[in-house]
Amino acid sequence: MLAVAIVLLVGRTDELHLPPWLIPLIVFIAGLALAWSPLDAVVAADARRPDVVALVSREAWVRILLGVFVVGFAVWLFARSDFTDSRAVRIWAVGGATVLAAVLLLAPWWLRLIRQVSVERERRVREFERAEIAAHLHDSVLQTLTLIRAKADDPDAVARLARAQERDLRSYLYQERRSPADSVATALAAAMSEVEDTHGVSIDVVSVGDAPTSEALRAAVGAAREAATNAARHGVGPISVYAELAAGRYQVFVRDGGPGFDPAAVPTDRLGIRNSIVGRVRRQGGDAEVHSAPGTRTEVAITVAREEER
Amino acid sequence: MSISVVIVDDHDVIRVGVRESLEDDVEVIGEAKDVESAIEAIRKARPQVVILDVHLPGGRGGGALDVLAEVLGVPGAPRVLALSVSDAAEDVVAVVRAGARGYVTKSISGPDLSDAVRRVATGDAVFSPRLAGFVLDAFGAAGGEVAVVDEDLDKLTEREQEVMRLIARGYTYREVGEKLFISIKTVETHVGKVLHKLQLSNRHELAHWAARRGIA
Repeated sequence: MLAVAIVLLVGRTDELHLPPWLIPLIVFIAGLALAWSPLDAVVAADARRPDVVALVSREAWVRILLGVFVVGFAVWLFARSDFTDSRAVRIWAVGGATVLAAVLLLAPWWLRLIRQVSVERERRVREFERAEIAAHLHDSVLQTLTLIRAKADDPDAVARLARAQERDLRSYLYQERRSPADSVATALAAAMSEVEDTHGVSIDVVSVGDAPTSEALRAAVGAAREAATNAARHGVGPISVYAELAAGRYQVFVRDGGPGFDPAAVPTDRLGIRNSIVGRVRRQGGDAEVHSAPGTRTEVAITVAREEER
Repeated sequence: MSISVVIVDDHDVIRVGVRESLEDDVEVIGEAKDVESAIEAIRKARPQVVILDVHLPGGRGGGALDVLAEVLGVPGAPRVLALSVSDAAEDVVAVVRAGARGYVTKSISGPDLSDAVRRVATGDAVFSPRLAGFVLDAFGAAGGEVAVVDEDLDKLTEREQEVMRLIARGYTYREVGEKLFISIKTVETHVGKVLHKLQLSNRHELAHWAARRGIA
């Protein structure tokens, strides 16, 4: 009925003085709408489903084919309407219209194909990442758990294993992996982990600011490590380490949980503090101070200047 | 007078551990393990304090942020202490900016956690050394940036920096007060102001900045 109406209309265009391309355009749009109408489901459907044909019902296929037919009819109408006198223009216009019709009819399928390709790529990336994480967890966490089970009757070993594994997993999950040479914060954290492992203590390290590890910074990290070792040996409770890198200097504070001592009472032949902490940073033009008194927490403040700033 | 708390954490082991480590004056009146059950438990139990894990399943995928968005901002809303194993700065900052009054890590001892709960219950802020370090970093304290007036939301005053530095060095509020010759109440006031700045500052889009920099 619709087709009959269109044919009748076409027959009367001359009387109505409509532009000759208007009717073909309307028919074209109607055909396109008909062909696209069942394709919503195809484009919107989960792009991980490769089986597109199954998404389209029999009735939908009828509509698609009918749509294609109507679009073809529109092009044919356009071709036989007298919109121009030039033969060349007519050939180009009709050719262009045909190509356009084909492109528009295929557009939904093409869109879907693009989406499917990108989904595929995403899935491969995800699978790769998952495999990498699984490999890491297998090499680290699972191995450690096995070790822990084997050493279940040795609480110290279990605590040490758990702590080391926690640190490893934490750095894997949350931190960009930087080398101790590129980052003084990483160097300090690494030094403190070694103290944690050697002495079975827990050290809370907080760093503000970061820079490549220069000679002076390395000395400060070394001194901080000695201070933390002392704290682990003589102090009780958790150790706090705070490092701050400012424009002209690097400061590290190492603080234990007590019980403190009298610095004046330390015999001069005990080289620990004097040499490895104070001496080390003084050679780099820095300084270290030990603040302590019996019954308080001991804090070592280490300061070095940053020569690369000059 | 005991303080009522709801513990929200998706791991049973952690919930049990937290419950057992809390001291006697902190009473656990509810527990939850995901965003939905947390919102429900908090509305039903109406606790003074919520101990909230940063990473939670459910909701719109925002974890603690989804819970905070639902339960804060109403009369009688609880105060929230964020608890996390995560050291990722953007997580820490996001929960504090969403309204948590404090942030502690799961390695905290029982007495310290109880203390943090009491502090949060009275409206004070709780800063772990790590959060203090982050704040110093974020507000450019190491670069020598100092706020001249208290109202400057993008910088810390000299006193606030001193307080944050001592907290980062592992000092308790009491020790900070002794060191700076100020009362513990004054320390609490300074920390509260820093929390306020952290929540309201637009400095470098804090959360975004944190994501790039990370707490080392």
